[in-house]
Amino acid sequence: MVSGHVGCAGCGAAIAMRFFLQALGNQAIMVMPACCWSIIAGSYPMSSLRIPLIHTAFETGGAVASGVRAALDMKGDTQTTVVTWAGDGGTFDIGFQALSGAVERNEDFIYVCYDNEAYMNTGVQRSSSTPYGAWTTTTPGREWKRMRKKNIVEALVAHRIPYAATASIAYPQDLMAKVAKAKAIKGSRFLHIFASCPTGWRIPSELSVKIARMAVQTNIFPLYEVENGVKYTINLSPKGYLVREYFKLQGRFKHLSDQDLSEIQNMVNEDWNLLLRKAGLPQVQGEHM
Amino acid sequence: MKAKNNSIRLPERLLISRSYTTSESNKTGSWRYLMPRYYEKTAPCSVACPAAEDIGRIQMLNTQGFFKEAWDTILVENPFPAVCGRICFHPCEKVCNRGRFDEAVSIRALERFVADTAQRYKLTSGIEPMAFTGKRIAVVGAGPAGLAAAHFLHLLGYDCHVFEALPEPGGILRWGLPRYRLPLAALQPEIERIRNSGVSIYCGQAVGRDFLHSAGETYGAVFMACGAQRMPLLRIPGEDLPGISEGLAFLCSVAQGGGPGFQGTAAVIGGGNTAVDVARCLRRLGARAMIIYRRRREDMPAFAEEIELALLEGVELLELYAPIRIEKEGNGLRLTLQQMKIGAMGADGRMRVVPDENRIRELTVDQVFKAIGFEAAEPWHVPEAGAVSHLKLRQAVLTQGANSVPVVYCGDPVTEIQSVVHAVASAKEGAMALHVLLTGGTAAVAETLAAAAVGPGGSLSMEAFLKGERLNRSSHVVAYEEINIDHFQYAPRMIQPRLLQAERVASFAEIDLKISAGMAIREAERCFNCGLCNQCDNCRLFCPDLAVRQEDSKRGRRIDYDYCKGCGICVVECPRNAMVLEEEQDS
Amino acid sequence: MKQVLEGSHAVAEAVRLAKVQVISAYPITPQTHIVERLSDYCADGTIKARFLRVESEHSALAVMIGAASTGMRTFTATSSQGLALMHELLHWSSGARLPIVMAEVNRALAPGWNIWADQTDSLSQRDTGWIQLYCETGQEVLDTTLLAFRLAEAVNLPVMVVLDAFFLSHTYEPVDIPSQAQVDEFLPPIIPRIQLDPANPCALNQLSPPNIYMEMRYQIHLVMQAALSELEKFEGDFERIFGRRYGAVEPFLCQDAEIILVTSGTITSTSRQFVLDQRAQGEKIGVLKVKLFRPFPVEAVRGYLKNARKVGVIDRNFSFGAGGIFAQEVRAALYGLARRPPVFGFIAGLGGRDVTLESLGEILTRLKTLKRPDPESIWIGLQEVQLAGPKS
Ligand SMILES: Cc1cc2nc3c(=O)[nH]c(=O)nc-3n(C[C@H](O)[C@H](O)[C@H](O)COP(=O)(O)OP(=O)(O)OC[C@H]3O[C@@H](n4cnc5c(N)ncnc54)[C@H](O)[C@@H]3O)c2cc1C
Ligand SMILES: Cc1ncc(C[n+]2csc(CCOP(=O)(O)OP(=O)(O)O)c2C)c(N)n1
Ligand code: SF4
Ligand SMILES: [Mg+2]
Repeated sequence: MVSGHVGCAGCGAAIAMRFFLQALGNQAIMVMPACCWSIIAGSYPMSSLRIPLIHTAFETGGAVASGVRAALDMKGDTQTTVVTWAGDGGTFDIGFQALSGAVERNEDFIYVCYDNEAYMNTGVQRSSSTPYGAWTTTTPGREWKRMRKKNIVEALVAHRIPYAATASIAYPQDLMAKVAKAKAIKGSRFLHIFASCPTGWRIPSELSVKIARMAVQTNIFPLYEVENGVKYTINLSPKGYLVREYFKLQGRFKHLSDQDLSEIQNMVNEDWNLLLRKAGLPQVQGEHM
Repeated sequence: MKAKNNSIRLPERLLISRSYTTSESNKTGSWRYLMPRYYEKTAPCSVACPAAEDIGRIQMLNTQGFFKEAWDTILVENPFPAVCGRICFHPCEKVCNRGRFDEAVSIRALERFVADTAQRYKLTSGIEPMAFTGKRIAVVGAGPAGLAAAHFLHLLGYDCHVFEALPEPGGILRWGLPRYRLPLAALQPEIERIRNSGVSIYCGQAVGRDFLHSAGETYGAVFMACGAQRMPLLRIPGEDLPGISEGLAFLCSVAQGGGPGFQGTAAVIGGGNTAVDVARCLRRLGARAMIIYRRRREDMPAFAEEIELALLEGVELLELYAPIRIEKEGNGLRLTLQQMKIGAMGADGRMRVVPDENRIRELTVDQVFKAIGFEAAEPWHVPEAGAVSHLKLRQAVLTQGANSVPVVYCGDPVTEIQSVVHAVASAKEGAMALHVLLTGGTAAVAETLAAAAVGPGGSLSMEAFLKGERLNRSSHVVAYEEINIDHFQYAPRMIQPRLLQAERVASFAEIDLKISAGMAIREAERCFNCGLCNQCDNCRLFCPDLAVRQEDSKRGRRIDYDYCKGCGICVVECPRNAMVLEEEQDS
Repeated sequence: MKQVLEGSHAVAEAVRLAKVQVISAYPITPQTHIVERLSDYCADGTIKARFLRVESEHSALAVMIGAASTGMRTFTATSSQGLALMHELLHWSSGARLPIVMAEVNRALAPGWNIWADQTDSLSQRDTGWIQLYCETGQEVLDTTLLAFRLAEAVNLPVMVVLDAFFLSHTYEPVDIPSQAQVDEFLPPIIPRIQLDPANPCALNQLSPPNIYMEMRYQIHLVMQAALSELEKFEGDFERIFGRRYGAVEPFLCQDAEIILVTSGTITSTSRQFVLDQRAQGEKIGVLKVKLFRPFPVEAVRGYLKNARKVGVIDRNFSFGAGGIFAQEVRAALYGLARRPPVFGFIAGLGGRDVTLESLGEILTRLKTLKRPDPESIWIGLQEVQLAGPKS
């Protein structure tokens, strides 16, 4: 990755790519469905990436990568890693079918979803990754999103793929370790990287990483991995910040009442306990969990 | 019939959306309206340290195992790390930002570790003194103030002759401080280092008052560092009875050879370090020791930790008792004690104590030690009021008589607190002031010294004075809120290994045991390095625009403003506030 | 070697002989026999290719895009709904200049569900930048598929080989299957001009701003035009090796014809018989089969039709609100001529309805009686329908 890309100031997705490529190396081919990164990666004739990259249609991340992999297989190339780099929209929503198809076939590739929790490329519209409570340009005013975020990792885990993990731009070591781990595994690997978006979240650019870290610390975005659909490992036990502290910093949540926030806290607690159960760990009670 | 066609030929090259160059030609720096910049700031510990030791940096070096460099970094500001690493009251640790997170860093223990390591490997300091000025300076008294003055003056390019009345240098460090706190083996190499650097120390040379007048023949200036060893009177009946002695004299005899064996009960009057040390020495000699203090325990000037240890060693403390008379009783002495109580708050912020009616208590002991603070032994040890020029600095006084050389007074008689590190600070301030006076005149002193101040506290840095890198730092003192604690994990403060309680009173062996390098590094890693870049690389790591570049410089990285969009992540993710984000200046 | 083959299997044989490297497809009647045969071939090692059994046509074409962008010879097959689902990626494949070959079995679009022959599916993709070749016989299917690879790889555009549902896809005919050596001579291994390669990294299909997008499109236009002569050239090669030739258009007794029927696909075969029957009765009638629909062979069409008195275009397709699609194209082609025959549009055989000799007789009657093409499209064989069920 090189300088001069046109990601917004403080773009978490740009940071995500840096860490990812740092751990992955250059022996790779990247497939990129429509997303902010389609722009960040550069317009003709420039590229901000130093690896071969194919921009593709929004919903084709899983399938185009399958084609690239098939081609490499035909060439007998076992060294090159095929990677799909997609946004949450391209993963949770429009690209879900192709992704599900690809991982069901256990295609040998790494699928990375950098999650900025909305369609940012097109101007902050809601996706099924947009969290409960968030404002977006299609969930404006009192119509703020009242549906919970889709648990994409669990959906992938249900496919019993060899490796699925969450990661965050705020935890580079963890992220890079997971990339390295994923790289060494054969078959479908899924990385869900939390990547803050100052523009869409209405946050100061300098807090981009800090807020991503808080998402982990509040258990809103736990760091964990699942091997072969069964073996859960939680990679970090958070310090236990309150959800409201995370919400307070972001413009997209500023309309929420205390009541809303405590409901959200309950949801987060519930999800966390669910994860703990899957990881075979004891449940926890109380607000700070 | 063959289909005709307009015979368009295939283009030779594909015109497709395929990149052939990088996005580096986009100079995204033009987007910026806020500008991040490396700007180191001041750590609270270094402000609280009277010697302005660059503690954040020292710990940074320690974490890397650069103990020699850490040692040199201390020595520029304080020639006594082995001493201060043991007995300093460490005001630095009280303000340590880490204390708000979990527990303060064991700064003192780390200082001792560095000094001991340097001694073990017989390291020589790598600090280069300035070019010789051609001037020679006399220093009277080889206590910590005098020796430190010689050390700093030597650094500034002066030749120093130190005159000491006693047969060995060290002052109270040599004759007063008990060995279980400061072993000779720790002190002596420090003094040797100063001597070896080129300072001449003449022992058994008591200097008389006239010297101040005659010195001008040989010396460009005189440093007065005679300490304050005279015990003021208790002003109670019976204070000169036999069996009543002065604490410091007792400690001196202990220091010279173990002191007399002693079985009975002793009362020690006072609440300072001397009182506590006397009592603890008495315990080691086999006595029952009782400290009698007119105020409360929390009011005692002695260091809290020392009091704590003393009590653990079996010293008894009688708080709120003022002796009003001492009488002979058989072979012993009878003390009459007035019970005191807390009165109004005094002007100095301390609670006053007043007699509690006529509640009296009597106590019979075998011996009494007086340890109630010190003053200068001779009137000429303190600055003369009538000097022509009389510059009162924070910890030192600079005078210049009509026909005499400048005289600098430093150490115990003039410092705000009587402690080793204050003696060092005082010597440093005096040396700097003198140097400015000799090179730029009196008028420049205040301003030049202010420029070498670390933070608002008035501690002076020799490194800054010598125009070293510290000068580039902001005087802004980093507050706890400015630390990005996300980058730190809770880790308990190291536990100082010590002799077992029973072993302590059995000998004069040093109580605090040495720590391993691993332990030291771990402890040093707890340091936030407030305001200082410790090369953690977060700024480069997290930059979304790859605008922080590695380079071959001391900092190791620079911001490429061609691409920096000014998002500010580097500034926030700098765990220790070593950067700033400022409005972009219109060019 | 002659064999009696289904049209679908003729496709499969061509794909085998073309040594395709990556295949991906999603089943839809009436394309399934192609996919099943190829599956067998890949499974038993007859074809050394990766066959991706994906979850949709959309993904099938996406796989093609990925594989072709990595330098592979690729093949897919679909029909109707499947093709419609691929629509976005049809544009993508041509815009990316990928030499993908697809067999497309013409089938009607729902609703209501109808699996029978109808060309509207492929013709409504006419602006996607794909070369489209319509076939009449099993032999032509096999031959055209081979030609398609050669052409696609020469011009870097995707090619669709189109065959009618059932009439061709499921009809057994004797087909001459060439030897591998012959095919190898005609179709050497692909030399990819676009290739994702870590040794030579570049980004493909990137954001292309207004300052360059138009030039890129213009080149596709130029290449489309050049494809006409390229096809002719390859047909020359083909004829040399295999002894067969088709042409972008194929005239049948057009030389002296006063009335020329323009056809495509299997209707052509019926029309040939009809022409022979009518000639026997003294009618000066001929057939012009249009094989190449994109690029449209304007000059050839003009050449064959300009001297006719009347032209009747038979469309098994319809563009609502306009007319039969071939008719529109033929009219547009002739428009530039100073003297041009009137073009009558006939809509016949939608949704797999048979176009019989009788249907053609009706067309001829209309052609003879009508002075002007008015209305523009004449629907042949429409029945009276009794409307029943709820009102509105
Ligand atoms: C028992 C005790 C315990 C202490 N514990 C601590 C502690 O734990 N931590 C801490 O920081 N501080 C402690 N202090 C205080 C500390 O020791 C003093 O503040 C410090 O030593 C002052 O240094 P100085 O050089 O000014 O004086 P001194 O150490 O008193 O040195 C003065 C020197 O000048 C010499 N001298 C005097 N007159 C003449 C003359 N006319 N000619 C030549 N030489 C002369 C003296 O012999 C002496 O060597 C303690 C003090 C005592 C008494
Ligand atoms: C089929 C299709 N529908 C819609 C779009 C428009 N579109 C492009 S990117 C995008 C949103 C991308 O969202 P996401 O995947 O979350 O990536 P982000 O931009 O947030 O990084 C949309 C809706 C498209 N390119 N293709
Ligand atoms: S909109 Fe958000 S995700 Fe997209 S480039 Fe800007 S900061 Fe990054
Ligand atoms: Mg998104």
